[in-house]
Amino acid sequence: MRAVGFLVRKEFQQIRRDRPVLGIIFVVPLLQLLIFANVLTTETKHVKLAVVDLDRSRLSRALATAFSNTDRFRVVGFTTDVAAIPSEMRAWRVQAALVIPPGFQSKLVRGESPALQCLVDGVDGNTAAVALGYAEGILSQFLTEYARREAANAELPEQPIRLEERMLYNPDLSSRQYMIPGLVVALLTIIPMLLTALSFTREREMGTLEQLLVTPLRKHELLAGKLIPYLILSYAELAVVTTAAIVVFRIHVEGSLVLLAGLGLLYLFTTLGLGLFVSTVTESQQQAMFVAYFLIVFMLLMSGFFIPIPNMPLLLKKLTYLDPMRYFMAIVRDVFQKGSSLPSLLPDVLPMTAFGLAIFSLSVLKFRKQLG
Amino acid sequence: MTRASADRWEDGAAIQTVELTRRFGSFVAVERVSLRVRRGEVFGLLGPNGAGKTTLIRMLCGLLSPSAGSAFVAGLDVARAGEAVRRRIGYMSQRFSLYPDLTVEENLTFYGGVYGIRGKPLRTRLEEVLAELALGPFRESLARDLPLGYKQRLALGCAMLHEPPILFLDEPTSGVDPRARRSFWDLIHRKAEAGTTLVVTTHYMEEAEYCHRIAIMDSGKVIALGSPTRLKEEHGCESIQQVFLKLLRGDGGSTWQTPRSPSGESGVLGS
Repeated sequence: MRAVGFLVRKEFQQIRRDRPVLGIIFVVPLLQLLIFANVLTTETKHVKLAVVDLDRSRLSRALATAFSNTDRFRVVGFTTDVAAIPSEMRAWRVQAALVIPPGFQSKLVRGESPALQCLVDGVDGNTAAVALGYAEGILSQFLTEYARREAANAELPEQPIRLEERMLYNPDLSSRQYMIPGLVVALLTIIPMLLTALSFTREREMGTLEQLLVTPLRKHELLAGKLIPYLILSYAELAVVTTAAIVVFRIHVEGSLVLLAGLGLLYLFTTLGLGLFVSTVTESQQQAMFVAYFLIVFMLLMSGFFIPIPNMPLLLKKLTYLDPMRYFMAIVRDVFQKGSSLPSLLPDVLPMTAFGLAIFSLSVLKFRKQLG
Repeated sequence: MTRASADRWEDGAAIQTVELTRRFGSFVAVERVSLRVRRGEVFGLLGPNGAGKTTLIRMLCGLLSPSAGSAFVAGLDVARAGEAVRRRIGYMSQRFSLYPDLTVEENLTFYGGVYGIRGKPLRTRLEEVLAELALGPFRESLARDLPLGYKQRLALGCAMLHEPPILFLDEPTSGVDPRARRSFWDLIHRKAEAGTTLVVTTHYMEEAEYCHRIAIMDSGKVIALGSPTRLKEEHGCESIQQVFLKLLRGDGGSTWQTPRSPSGESGVLGS
């Protein structure tokens, strides 16, 4: 078994001299973290709003001001021409338009319900839905305040029902808090899979795999010696990225880091196994890269990382159950944000474990065949 | 089959194959090859590219399993005792399979460790090999920076660090300049004098002269077998190159006709 030690040492000697690989392992993830934390945001802010004020009253102007006072919307123009909106939208100058019909103020004062129209560019559905939600919120606040002011004047009862909203677990609705744990999962998928696949195919390309196969090394020793270094590196990666997320990017971890580390180890069986699998179906590093990228893209899209699984069509929703990353994504987000403990995570941990064992053992068996 | 082959095992043989065959689909890479290599012999496998030399060596090393027939290496059935065989052989593949990003010393240490040598014996052996192959000045160099001739020596060093009684060298001299080839053959002979059995493939016909005995292969079959001197006499040729061309053209001498039945091969030309 001590031959494994020589394999591990050799692998680290190679990695140490391989600057690009070191970069992939430690620099790229930190850059990604930086990008995810600051650029890639799913929060909707500064939606470009055109106000079509056909009422031109005190109240219609107050409503427009209510919209421009939040950072959710940025009022880019006032017009009285509704017909101009579509062309503005096509030119990406306007994302939403608030149409205040004539008689808005008078109806409101008479106690009737005036209709308002909100036109939203639906090309980016997510943003459209979120913007509409904001618009409703602003409107309801506007009406509440209006009613309160009227009440103060006319001593009318206050609005009978008020909805008090309180966001739990992520009170600021910060997309960082949601996306960065997801990035941890993505990295723990990409890095081990790619490095393992490339390290095996590199040995095949150089002929050193053949050389190793004529040594008395047993299959399990060879596999252990090749996989352990990448297990260690992936673990170091997990530690570095999690530390950076907490210390630098102020991500709040509600749950246990030990639990996270333990389940991370379990997940690595899946991704190291997938890397090994990729290496058994490919001949060259280039092929391995393509196959690994295909798997990675599928896994990322189906994992709920960018696209929330509940928003997917039924067929795709079912397909996500085939994505081992889906389970670890749910686990990590739960541990980070809800502080979930193992029992409540079991519905995700069990399928993830099953996938890990299946993928890992299948790859080991498949690798064995090639020695023949 | 195996019992029958075991009966044909003879003392003094380092390697023996009985009707060894390997097919890849419908392509027959090695066809019913029966050979015996004596201990301490430098045995050459000659033939054009695609003749089946590498496939034959890979079967002898246990890298490929035969489609039919059997192979005994160091007295062990390769099909059954693969691991024990692998401890007793060294293999240098066509491509000088080294880790280009490791130093000479790291490459050697790694293979030593993989063969189960460690600690002081490993250090001693490392120095011996470095001295024997004149690699001392390069011990800290990365393998990728070595001149080809030294890469070839390092590959040999990695294959022989565990002092195997049998060495398989697949095209060890290809692409290397004539002077380096000459000195590499000197190394091979020194190993043979020290008791190592060497099986060497080459497509340089003049290198046949350096071997004790050779087998000429074409299209998966052994078409001639014997010492270079004897083969030249039998065919009335000046050089092995001529013997080879004569055999391929099919205008062979008195003892050998083509085409002929496969069963006749080792009978007519066997040692």
